[in-house]
Amino acid sequence: MSTYSVYIGCSVPANYPNYEASMYKVAELFGLTLEYLEDVACCGSPNLRAMDYWGWTLVNARTLAIADSTEHDIVTPCNGCFGSLKDVYHLLKSDTDYRNRINAELEREGLEFRGTSKPRHFIEVLYTDVGLESIRKKITKPFDGIGIAIHYGCHLLRPGDVTEITPEILSELVRVTGADVVEYALWKQCCGATVLPVDEALAIRLARDKLKSMKDAGAAFATVVCPACCNQLDLQQLGLRESYGEQFDLPILFYPQILGLALGLDEDEVGLGMNRVPAKPILQHFSK
Amino acid sequence: MTEIGEKKELPDVFIDPIDMSELDRGFRKEIQSMPNGEELSACFACSTCTSACPIANIWEIKPHQLIRMIILGIREKVLSSKEIWLCLTCFECQERCPQGVRVTDIFFDCKNLATEEGMIPASIVALGKELIEKGQLYTVTADWEREDLDLEPDVPGLSTDAVKRVLGSTRTGRLVKGGR
Ligand code: SF4
Ligand code: SF4
Repeated sequence: MSTYSVYIGCSVPANYPNYEASMYKVAELFGLTLEYLEDVACCGSPNLRAMDYWGWTLVNARTLAIADSTEHDIVTPCNGCFGSLKDVYHLLKSDTDYRNRINAELEREGLEFRGTSKPRHFIEVLYTDVGLESIRKKITKPFDGIGIAIHYGCHLLRPGDVTEITPEILSELVRVTGADVVEYALWKQCCGATVLPVDEALAIRLARDKLKSMKDAGAAFATVVCPACCNQLDLQQLGLRESYGEQFDLPILFYPQILGLALGLDEDEVGLGMNRVPAKPILQHFSK
Repeated sequence: MTEIGEKKELPDVFIDPIDMSELDRGFRKEIQSMPNGEELSACFACSTCTSACPIANIWEIKPHQLIRMIILGIREKVLSSKEIWLCLTCFECQERCPQGVRVTDIFFDCKNLATEEGMIPASIVALGKELIEKGQLYTVTADWEREDLDLEPDVPGLSTDAVKRVLGSTRTGRLVKGGR
């Protein structure tokens, strides 16, 4: 089937090889070929955008231009990378003057932004290119209706005119595995990742409020599609025992881990042992 | 907090009057000429952005007030505010604005202007330093975890030189070198 150029970023490979491996294994099951983009730069994160807008657009335009030469769409598993690439793509597509200025710079590297290769989040490829029906047919170990809360992540959904992603994409993808989607009051709220370098206490409070809202609504597990959100909800959860005296015991799984298990991959293939809050209890929830 | 029933002395004026001579009339145009700033003037001060913001309750200057201050030209106070750096960049305000004002994007523009004037938190400069010196924000520390999952040991496809080269010649490079 189709081939994609993967922009993996630096956070996923450095901190969450379980996300990277499960994404690759799931893609393989659907006959998708994922090829790592070569010689690309770090997206810089929203913090680079805050201090150096021109530099941020330039590094990301460079990545987009390299992808253009592969003639495949760019796929990324990280909301931060997706947000950066999609925003710069949108800017360069809609602002000719800016694009000309950027291309004048890129020319020195022998590159040109044309915008033929579109930046896409991996979940959107699953939803649009593979499709719910094809996924459903391959599910061999459906879940038993266990309640999973979704943390979408701000830069996946907003600004909507730029990201072009609606919440249904991920909620439908969770439901197709046989799990139930738990609705909770703070579903839109930020995990706090961006503000971490400026105000750590605030960032932790945001993560804590989010976890509490999920837990209060009856979630047994939660899913994320971004390494920064995972830092906040999984890793920080361990620290909350001390700072807030609260223990949520809410396992946080990357979506491809959940889908992978339902497709029959085993726990090691999706790297389940690497999740910080023990995620193995999910293995008790297959319906057959 | 004021106790119920307690008599409260009312101040002579509720809000300090604006000193017209301190306004920077060019500030509005400056923001409007920056990416996604064009819709700024459409703001009709409804404060929906503030209602949508998950942390405006702890801000002294609220999102709709920052927008109004930009329109009026209260440049120094906006650019030196701690609020623009506390913004989560969650885009909830921008998404709900009935006038299409790109509130979060405009706060990004403000942070760029503040940075240019040296008003940037040290922790953000430190991230810029990481990018200039290491060419990436996260480095692999546990390559055995990657190998266990049949992944190549280092970050695939990443060119740290490209980051250093590109950002070395933009504001990030200047910031890290000159402390500004
Ligand atoms: S929501 Fe929009 S129009 Fe209303 S105050 Fe905020 S920026 Fe102005
Ligand atoms: S983007 Fe910033 S100002 Fe807007 S709602 Fe989020 S935290 Fe508030």
